[in-house]
Amino acid sequence: MSDLAKRCIAELVGTALLVYFGAGAAAVTLMIAHGTGSGTPFNIGIGALGGLGDWLAIGMAFAIVIAAVIYALGRVSGAHINPAVTIALWATKRFPAGETGAYIIAQLVGGALGSLLFAASAGMEAVTIGGLGATTPFPGIGYGQAVLAEAIGTFVLMLVIMGVAVDKRAPPGFAGLVIGLTVGGMITTTGNIAGASLNPARTFGPYLLDSLLGGPDLWAYFPIYIIGPILGAVVAAFFYDYIAGEGSKAA
Amino acid sequence: MKCYVCAREGRSSDAVAICIVCGMGLCREHAIREELEMWEGGYPFPAKRAKAKIPRTLCPECYNALYGK
Repeated sequence: MSDLAKRCIAELVGTALLVYFGAGAAAVTLMIAHGTGSGTPFNIGIGALGGLGDWLAIGMAFAIVIAAVIYALGRVSGAHINPAVTIALWATKRFPAGETGAYIIAQLVGGALGSLLFAASAGMEAVTIGGLGATTPFPGIGYGQAVLAEAIGTFVLMLVIMGVAVDKRAPPGFAGLVIGLTVGGMITTTGNIAGASLNPARTFGPYLLDSLLGGPDLWAYFPIYIIGPILGAVVAAFFYDYIAGEGSKAA
Repeated sequence: MKCYVCAREGRSSDAVAICIVCGMGLCREHAIREELEMWEGGYPFPAKRAKAKIPRTLCPECYNALYGK
Protein backbone atom coordinates (compact mmCIF):
# COMPACT_ATOMS: atom_id res chain seq x y z
CA MET A 1 0.00 0.00 0.00
CA SER A 2 1.37 3.41 -0.92
CA ASP A 3 2.34 6.01 1.63
CA LEU A 4 -0.45 8.33 0.41
CA ALA A 5 -3.05 5.57 0.76
CA LYS A 6 -2.01 4.93 4.35
CA ARG A 7 -2.17 8.62 5.16
CA CYS A 8 -5.63 8.86 3.56
CA ILE A 9 -6.78 5.96 5.74
CA ALA A 10 -5.49 7.87 8.78
CA GLU A 11 -7.47 10.95 7.67
CA LEU A 12 -10.55 8.79 7.11
CA VAL A 13 -10.34 7.18 10.53
CA GLY A 14 -9.57 10.48 12.28
CA THR A 15 -12.54 12.23 10.69
CA ALA A 16 -14.80 9.27 11.44
CA LEU A 17 -13.83 9.48 15.12
CA LEU A 18 -14.43 13.24 15.11
CA VAL A 19 -17.94 12.82 13.74
CA TYR A 20 -18.80 9.77 15.83
CA PHE A 21 -17.87 11.39 19.15
CA GLY A 22 -18.35 15.10 18.38
CA ALA A 23 -21.48 15.16 16.25
CA GLY A 24 -22.64 12.14 18.21
CA ALA A 25 -22.54 14.21 21.41
CA ALA A 26 -24.87 16.76 19.77
CA ALA A 27 -27.26 14.02 18.67
CA VAL A 28 -27.30 12.46 22.15
CA THR A 29 -28.01 15.86 23.73
CA LEU A 30 -31.04 16.27 21.44
CA MET A 31 -32.20 12.75 22.23
CA ILE A 32 -31.93 13.34 26.00
CA ALA A 33 -33.71 16.70 25.75
CA HIS A 34 -36.46 15.33 23.50
CA GLY A 35 -39.85 16.14 24.98
CA THR A 36 -38.60 18.73 27.46
CA GLY A 37 -39.83 22.31 27.20
CA SER A 38 -37.38 24.55 25.39
CA GLY A 39 -38.72 27.85 26.73
CA THR A 40 -37.51 29.87 23.74
CA PRO A 41 -37.68 29.38 19.98
CA PHE A 42 -33.89 29.89 19.81
CA ASN A 43 -33.56 26.64 21.78
CA ILE A 44 -34.06 23.54 19.65
CA GLY A 45 -33.18 21.18 22.49
CA ILE A 46 -29.46 21.75 23.00
CA GLY A 47 -29.56 24.09 26.00
CA ALA A 48 -32.78 22.71 27.44
CA LEU A 49 -30.86 20.66 29.99
CA GLY A 50 -28.11 22.96 31.17
CA GLY A 51 -28.15 26.15 29.14
CA LEU A 52 -24.77 26.97 27.66
CA GLY A 53 -23.44 23.99 29.63
CA ASP A 54 -25.00 21.74 26.98
CA TRP A 55 -22.82 23.40 24.37
CA LEU A 56 -19.79 23.18 26.65
CA ALA A 57 -20.37 19.45 26.99
CA ILE A 58 -20.62 19.05 23.22
CA GLY A 59 -17.57 21.27 22.79
CA MET A 60 -15.60 19.14 25.25
CA ALA A 61 -16.52 15.98 23.35
CA PHE A 62 -15.09 17.58 20.21
CA ALA A 63 -12.07 18.93 22.12
CA ILE A 64 -11.14 15.55 23.54
CA VAL A 65 -11.53 13.58 20.34
CA ILE A 66 -9.64 16.21 18.31
CA ALA A 67 -6.76 16.17 20.79
CA ALA A 68 -6.77 12.36 20.78
CA VAL A 69 -6.71 12.16 16.98
CA ILE A 70 -3.96 14.78 16.65
CA TYR A 71 -1.73 12.99 19.17
CA ALA A 72 -2.53 9.55 17.75
CA LEU A 73 -2.38 10.26 14.01
CA GLY A 74 -0.68 13.64 13.67
CA ARG A 75 2.66 12.13 12.66
CA VAL A 76 1.03 9.73 10.19
CA SER A 77 -1.09 12.01 8.03
CA GLY A 78 -0.90 15.40 9.73
CA ALA A 79 -4.39 14.77 11.20
CA HIS A 80 -6.06 17.62 9.34
CA ILE A 81 -9.44 15.81 9.61
CA ASN A 82 -10.91 18.94 8.04
CA PRO A 83 -10.96 19.90 4.33
CA ALA A 84 -10.78 23.59 5.25
CA VAL A 85 -7.44 23.01 7.01
CA THR A 86 -6.07 20.96 4.10
CA ILE A 87 -7.13 23.63 1.59
CA ALA A 88 -5.59 26.43 3.69
CA LEU A 89 -2.28 24.55 3.90
CA TRP A 90 -2.41 23.95 0.15
CA ALA A 91 -3.28 27.59 -0.58
CA THR A 92 -0.19 28.73 1.33
CA LYS A 93 1.96 26.20 -0.57
CA ARG A 94 2.58 24.01 2.46
CA PHE A 95 0.70 20.96 1.23
CA PRO A 96 1.10 19.36 -2.23
CA ALA A 97 -1.73 19.97 -4.69
CA GLY A 98 -1.64 16.34 -5.85
CA GLU A 99 -2.51 15.08 -2.36
CA THR A 100 -5.09 17.70 -1.43
CA GLY A 101 -7.95 16.07 -3.35
CA ALA A 102 -7.19 12.63 -1.94
CA TYR A 103 -7.15 14.00 1.61
CA ILE A 104 -10.49 15.79 1.13
CA ILE A 105 -12.16 12.67 -0.29
CA ALA A 106 -10.83 10.63 2.64
CA GLN A 107 -12.14 13.19 5.12
CA LEU A 108 -15.62 13.24 3.52
CA VAL A 109 -15.80 9.43 3.46
CA GLY A 110 -14.61 9.40 7.08
CA GLY A 111 -17.31 11.86 8.08
CA ALA A 112 -19.95 9.65 6.47
CA LEU A 113 -18.50 6.54 8.11
CA GLY A 114 -18.58 8.23 11.52
CA SER A 115 -22.26 9.08 11.10
CA LEU A 116 -23.07 5.59 9.84
CA LEU A 117 -21.37 4.00 12.84
CA PHE A 118 -23.13 6.39 15.21
CA ALA A 119 -26.53 5.58 13.71
CA ALA A 120 -25.70 1.89 13.96
CA SER A 121 -24.71 2.34 17.62
CA ALA A 122 -27.48 4.64 18.84
CA GLY A 123 -30.41 3.54 16.71
CA MET A 124 -32.88 5.35 14.49
CA GLU A 125 -33.77 7.96 17.11
CA ALA A 126 -30.27 9.31 16.61
CA VAL A 127 -31.36 10.02 13.03
CA THR A 128 -34.98 11.12 13.47
CA ILE A 129 -34.53 13.07 16.74
CA GLY A 130 -30.82 13.75 16.90
CA GLY A 131 -30.34 14.34 13.17
CA LEU A 132 -26.96 12.63 13.71
CA GLY A 133 -25.73 15.93 15.11
CA ALA A 134 -26.07 17.75 11.78
CA THR A 135 -25.40 21.48 11.79
CA THR A 136 -27.95 24.07 10.62
CA PRO A 137 -28.49 27.77 11.25
CA PHE A 138 -30.63 28.22 14.34
CA PRO A 139 -34.04 29.96 14.30
CA GLY A 140 -33.63 33.64 13.44
CA ILE A 141 -30.14 33.19 11.96
CA GLY A 142 -29.85 34.12 8.30
CA TYR A 143 -27.71 32.44 5.64
CA GLY A 144 -25.15 35.25 5.65
CA GLN A 145 -24.94 35.32 9.43
CA ALA A 146 -24.33 31.59 9.47
CA VAL A 147 -21.55 31.87 6.88
CA LEU A 148 -19.99 34.67 8.94
CA ALA A 149 -20.13 32.68 12.19
CA GLU A 150 -18.57 29.63 10.50
CA ALA A 151 -15.89 31.78 8.87
CA ILE A 152 -14.97 33.49 12.16
CA GLY A 153 -14.87 30.20 14.07
CA THR A 154 -12.67 28.53 11.46
CA PHE A 155 -10.47 31.64 11.25
CA VAL A 156 -9.69 31.24 14.96
CA LEU A 157 -9.12 27.48 14.55
CA MET A 158 -6.69 27.93 11.64
CA LEU A 159 -4.93 30.84 13.33
CA VAL A 160 -4.26 28.60 16.32
CA ILE A 161 -3.06 25.75 14.07
CA MET A 162 -0.65 28.16 12.39
CA GLY A 163 0.59 29.54 15.70
CA VAL A 164 0.98 26.35 17.74
CA ALA A 165 1.77 23.79 15.05
CA VAL A 166 2.85 25.16 11.67
CA ASP A 167 5.17 27.84 13.03
CA LYS A 168 8.46 26.14 13.85
CA ARG A 169 9.02 28.60 16.69
CA ALA A 170 6.02 27.15 18.58
CA PRO A 171 6.78 25.08 21.70
CA PRO A 172 6.37 21.39 20.82
CA GLY A 173 3.75 19.10 22.34
CA PHE A 174 0.88 21.51 22.92
CA ALA A 175 -0.81 21.45 19.51
CA GLY A 176 -3.37 18.71 20.11
CA LEU A 177 -4.48 20.05 23.47
CA VAL A 178 -4.70 23.70 22.43
CA ILE A 179 -6.37 23.03 19.08
CA GLY A 180 -8.91 20.70 20.66
CA LEU A 181 -9.76 23.22 23.34
CA THR A 182 -10.02 25.98 20.74
CA VAL A 183 -12.67 24.02 18.85
CA GLY A 184 -14.43 23.29 22.15
CA GLY A 185 -14.49 27.00 22.96
CA MET A 186 -15.76 27.97 19.52
CA ILE A 187 -18.56 25.42 19.79
CA THR A 188 -19.56 26.65 23.25
CA THR A 189 -19.89 30.23 22.05
CA THR A 190 -21.13 29.90 18.47
CA GLY A 191 -22.81 26.49 18.55
CA ASN A 192 -26.25 28.00 18.94
CA ILE A 193 -25.73 30.28 15.91
CA ALA A 194 -25.00 27.86 13.09
CA GLY A 195 -23.90 24.68 14.86
CA ALA A 196 -20.18 25.60 14.87
CA SER A 197 -19.18 22.99 12.31
CA LEU A 198 -15.92 24.71 11.29
CA ASN A 199 -15.41 21.69 9.04
CA PRO A 200 -17.16 20.67 5.78
CA ALA A 201 -16.54 16.96 6.44
CA ARG A 202 -18.07 17.16 9.93
CA THR A 203 -21.30 18.47 8.36
CA PHE A 204 -21.18 16.27 5.23
CA GLY A 205 -21.28 13.00 7.18
CA PRO A 206 -24.49 13.67 9.14
CA TYR A 207 -26.15 15.28 6.07
CA LEU A 208 -25.45 12.25 3.88
CA LEU A 209 -26.56 9.67 6.42
CA ASP A 210 -29.63 11.72 7.39
CA SER A 211 -30.59 11.63 3.69
CA LEU A 212 -29.96 7.91 3.34
CA LEU A 213 -31.62 6.85 6.62
CA GLY A 214 -34.75 9.00 6.50
CA GLY A 215 -33.61 11.91 8.65
CA PRO A 216 -34.04 15.61 7.82
CA ASP A 217 -33.02 16.87 4.38
CA LEU A 218 -30.61 19.71 5.13
CA TRP A 219 -28.58 19.95 1.90
CA ALA A 220 -29.82 23.51 1.25
CA TYR A 221 -27.60 24.61 4.13
CA PHE A 222 -24.49 22.75 2.98
CA PRO A 223 -22.93 25.74 1.13
CA ILE A 224 -22.73 27.53 4.51
CA TYR A 225 -20.40 24.82 5.79
CA ILE A 226 -18.26 24.86 2.66
CA ILE A 227 -17.91 28.61 2.13
CA GLY A 228 -17.60 29.70 5.77
CA PRO A 229 -14.92 27.25 6.96
CA ILE A 230 -12.79 27.39 3.80
CA LEU A 231 -12.93 31.19 3.70
CA GLY A 232 -12.05 31.49 7.39
CA ALA A 233 -9.20 28.99 7.22
CA VAL A 234 -7.58 30.41 4.07
CA VAL A 235 -7.78 33.99 5.34
CA ALA A 236 -6.28 32.91 8.69
CA ALA A 237 -3.35 31.13 7.03
CA PHE A 238 -2.45 34.14 4.87
CA PHE A 239 -3.07 36.49 7.79
CA TYR A 240 -0.68 34.54 10.01
CA ASP A 241 1.99 34.52 7.32
CA TYR A 242 1.60 38.28 6.98
CA ILE A 243 1.82 39.13 10.68
CA ALA A 244 4.36 36.48 11.74
CA GLY A 245 6.43 35.87 8.65
CA GLU A 246 8.92 38.78 8.71
CA GLY A 247 9.10 38.62 4.94
CA SER A 248 9.44 34.85 4.82
CA LYS A 249 7.22 31.92 5.60
CA ALA A 250 6.92 31.10 9.28
CA ALA A 251 7.27 27.39 8.56
CA MET B 1 42.69 6.54 27.07
CA LYS B 2 42.36 2.83 27.68
CA CYS B 3 39.31 0.59 27.34
CA TYR B 4 37.58 0.35 30.73
CA VAL B 5 36.04 -3.06 30.05
CA CYS B 6 39.39 -4.57 29.06
CA ALA B 7 41.04 -2.99 32.12
CA ARG B 8 38.47 -4.68 34.37
CA GLU B 9 39.36 -7.98 32.72
CA GLY B 10 43.07 -7.40 33.40
CA ARG B 11 43.93 -6.49 29.83
CA SER B 12 45.17 -3.27 28.32
CA SER B 13 43.89 -1.91 25.04
CA ASP B 14 43.57 1.57 23.58
CA ALA B 15 40.13 3.13 23.57
CA VAL B 16 38.72 4.10 20.16
CA ALA B 17 35.33 5.38 21.38
CA ILE B 18 33.48 6.68 24.43
CA CYS B 19 30.08 5.53 25.66
CA ILE B 20 27.66 8.43 25.18
CA VAL B 21 25.81 7.53 28.42
CA CYS B 22 28.49 6.78 31.04
CA GLY B 23 31.60 8.15 29.36
CA MET B 24 33.48 4.85 29.55
CA GLY B 25 36.44 4.51 27.18
CA LEU B 26 35.94 1.56 24.82
CA CYS B 27 38.12 -0.45 22.50
CA ARG B 28 36.84 -1.57 19.11
CA GLU B 29 35.77 -4.92 20.56
CA HIS B 30 33.59 -3.41 23.31
CA ALA B 31 32.15 -0.36 21.54
CA ILE B 32 28.59 -0.96 20.35
CA ARG B 33 27.76 1.43 17.55
CA GLU B 34 24.17 1.95 16.44
CA GLU B 35 22.58 4.13 13.78
CA LEU B 36 19.38 5.78 14.96
CA GLU B 37 16.62 6.77 12.58
CA MET B 38 15.68 10.43 12.51
CA TRP B 39 12.17 11.73 11.78
CA GLU B 40 11.39 15.23 10.65
CA GLY B 41 8.08 17.08 10.46
CA GLY B 42 4.91 16.23 12.32
CA TYR B 43 1.49 17.73 12.94
CA PRO B 44 -0.03 19.20 10.81
CA PHE B 45 2.27 17.52 8.29
CA PRO B 46 3.13 13.83 8.01
CA ALA B 47 6.41 12.97 9.70
CA LYS B 48 9.08 11.75 7.27
CA ARG B 49 12.09 9.54 7.89
CA ALA B 50 15.22 11.61 7.31
CA LYS B 51 17.88 10.22 4.99
CA ALA B 52 20.63 10.89 7.52
CA LYS B 53 20.93 8.71 10.61
CA ILE B 54 22.54 9.60 13.92
CA PRO B 55 25.36 7.30 15.05
CA ARG B 56 25.52 6.40 18.75
CA THR B 57 28.19 4.51 20.67
CA LEU B 58 27.35 2.64 23.88
CA CYS B 59 29.29 0.38 26.20
CA PRO B 60 27.92 -3.16 26.73
CA GLU B 61 26.49 -2.26 30.18
CA CYS B 62 24.55 0.78 28.97
CA TYR B 63 23.42 -1.08 25.85
CA ASN B 64 22.04 -3.93 27.94
CA ALA B 65 20.39 -1.54 30.40
CA LEU B 66 18.79 0.46 27.59
CA TYR B 67 17.30 -2.59 25.92
CA GLY B 68 16.41 -4.40 29.16
CA LYS B 69 18.80 -7.29 28.58
